[in-house]
Amino acid sequence: MFSKVKKNTYGYLFVAPFIIGFLLFGLYPVYNTIALSFTNTSMMKPNADFVGLLNFTRLFADHTFLTALKNTWSLWIMNFIPQIGIALLLAVWFTDTRLKIKGGGFFRMLFYLPNLMMPAAIAALFFSLFSYYGPVNQFLVREGIIPAAVNFIESAPTMRFLVVFIQWWMWFGQTTIVLMAAMTSISVSIYEAALADGANGWQMFRFITLPLIKPVMIYVLVTSLVGGMQMFDVPMLLTDGRGSPSNSILTNNILMYIKFRSSQGLIGSASAIGVVVFIMTSFVALLIFYALREKSNKNVVEES
Amino acid sequence: MRKSMIVVSVLVVFAMLLSACAQTAATTAPAATEAAAAATTAAPAAAATTAVPAATEVPTETPLPTFAPAKAGVTVLNVWSFTNEIKTMAVAFEKVHPDVQVNYTMIPMTNGEYQTKLMATLGTGNEPDVVALEASFVKSYVESDFLADLKDLAPDAAADKTYQEVIDVGTYKGVTKAYSYQSTPGALFYRRSLAKSYFGTDDPTKIQALLSDMDKFTAAAKVVHDKSSGKTFMVASSGDFMNLYYANRAQPWVVANTLTIDPMVEKMVQTAKTFRDNGFEAQATQWGEGWFAGMNDSLKDASGTKEQVFCYLLPTWGLPYTLSPNATTADKSSTTVGDWAMITGPLPYQWGGTWMGVMKATKQQKLAEEFVRFATLDQTNLTNWATGVYTNEYLKAIDPTVPDSQAQAGGDFVSSQVVVEKITKGFDKSTLSDFLGGENSYGAFAAAAPNVSAKLMQGSDDSIQRALNDPLNAYLAGTTTEDQMWSAFKDAVRTEYPDLTVK
Repeated sequence: MFSKVKKNTYGYLFVAPFIIGFLLFGLYPVYNTIALSFTNTSMMKPNADFVGLLNFTRLFADHTFLTALKNTWSLWIMNFIPQIGIALLLAVWFTDTRLKIKGGGFFRMLFYLPNLMMPAAIAALFFSLFSYYGPVNQFLVREGIIPAAVNFIESAPTMRFLVVFIQWWMWFGQTTIVLMAAMTSISVSIYEAALADGANGWQMFRFITLPLIKPVMIYVLVTSLVGGMQMFDVPMLLTDGRGSPSNSILTNNILMYIKFRSSQGLIGSASAIGVVVFIMTSFVALLIFYALREKSNKNVVEES
Repeated sequence: MRKSMIVVSVLVVFAMLLSACAQTAATTAPAATEAAAAATTAAPAAAATTAVPAATEVPTETPLPTFAPAKAGVTVLNVWSFTNEIKTMAVAFEKVHPDVQVNYTMIPMTNGEYQTKLMATLGTGNEPDVVALEASFVKSYVESDFLADLKDLAPDAAADKTYQEVIDVGTYKGVTKAYSYQSTPGALFYRRSLAKSYFGTDDPTKIQALLSDMDKFTAAAKVVHDKSSGKTFMVASSGDFMNLYYANRAQPWVVANTLTIDPMVEKMVQTAKTFRDNGFEAQATQWGEGWFAGMNDSLKDASGTKEQVFCYLLPTWGLPYTLSPNATTADKSSTTVGDWAMITGPLPYQWGGTWMGVMKATKQQKLAEEFVRFATLDQTNLTNWATGVYTNEYLKAIDPTVPDSQAQAGGDFVSSQVVVEKITKGFDKSTLSDFLGGENSYGAFAAAAPNVSAKLMQGSDDSIQRALNDPLNAYLAGTTTEDQMWSAFKDAVRTEYPDLTVK
């Protein structure tokens, strides 16, 4: 055992930068956030006191926080399902050896392009498009689709739809590329064998592609979850930065930011939100790993 | 199995790292780099010698510096602001104090970057010496313990007859901690041509009589609406007249640590609802495209029909910085220059303004105080500032690296009544008086300024009033009831002020 460790000292050397970086910029901030969440630290007061669980009890008594929690989940789920659906479809099409779609590289780039744009620019663009005096209203009225201009910016369903759409639009290309990479690594001979056995397209997808890309699916799901729980820039910049209209696009991180940048700079209660989001994300991520663990290993686990 | 467990644990660590990163980004603001860049190489001895007050006679030309630099090497003064305006004064300050180098840092406040960065320096020892504080957050600093007492400047303010409203904003519990070079009383600007067609006159005195209180204002809005068959709106957005109500409350938002809704705020909500339901407002967003289009008469509804806006309620800075630059369309096809007139409007109010304070943590209190005095209370500087003396040539002679856009055009309304009285006559014939069909805006603001009160202003005002915007918009749009609006408002206030009693 020990001789093995000695042989691997170079390995430790190589992972050292990551470990140090993680401890300094990953673990310490987490520790610090947790520590802050038990205090009433605010930036406009020099001193802070330990307040126990006060920040958390207030948080869960606060309608606004529950709204933010609900919004974050619904906005993420509403954008993730179409995102993974479209990405799977596109990835299957573009990797299908029988379809042989031309210009795969070009389309891949096209799908990925929205991701290269700044969320701030996209949010500002959509805000102008859908404003009361904006082009969308002009088009709809002049084409006779609606009788008079609608104040889209003050309509909760429209704004929610826009956030979901922008998030989907920005991220489906990324997911498509990852899934395509996973699918191209599946050996063609498996599909050939399936064809020889008379399997149809859906059966090949269901029983070959899906099981074999499961590890990548888990990765996509977890990274998307982590990103989704921290949804911030698009909903923040799309309207007034406070989740307007009627808190319909208020997410956890926007609420955290509101507290942080209030005139008092309430870092204590902002940290409490951070801690709740952290625990929630970690718990759900672990749940995903547990639910999607490799079932064939089940017997191995029981035996060992 | 072991392999998959390793993969899983690595992924978990990765996920934790990702989520941790985002939290860090929000909780520890990115102030360190800025603060490091602004690190001072101060020599306190030199600071003491530079604190000699500059001559305060009021010739339009600044007298040449009467003293040579006392020591070799310069003293560095760090000034933070959210616009480039004060940089002009910093350059002028360097002319009077050649041994001082002002390190000017501009951080925009579009999305609160300035406030965030400034807050993050508090207590770290990296605070700037002098800070510019905008009306929306000046009071929270004045109420805090981070600004130095500027009692030594009180005699200058008395000699200047600095407007009481300016001093009130900078004062908390009798201690004055911030001064401003501007006073920002508000006014009402209306289109002369529209006034003629709907009220038969464009005479400012007669229009003022027609709009002398908010009930008359609403009645006039109905006349404008009816006579134009709904194609002319009294205001572009109901946000335009909200300041008037806020400025005339009888009690502040927070009384004995309890959220208090003044009857004036309730009236404001009613008026806004009346305006929305009856089509008296154009439903534009303040600072949005439609809002500006109304200024240059190019507003069109979605079907392409022309719409017009009768008036805008703007303060002093709104005339040179907002209304007059936007009164002509970009392609010059439509202009309203010369078609505007100015009156005090239904209620006295003030809007915006920039105050300046000295951070308590500064190591050069005297020099920092001298900078604030020069910028906000020095009559020569205020005169130069308001009358357009600070041209590019003037500034480049002091510091050749000054950018071309740094010049300060005349017309900003300054905080000293003494200076205002001296220079008002000079604005009888100016680009702004041409813009207003011959009216002297400076004189009109001078008449309005003494009536403005800022006694009720509190550090929490801005957040509380912002918290009302979204619930109010939902109520105006008809998606919520008035009761739902108030409870949504109270929830939003609770979020930002957890220690406040909200009934």
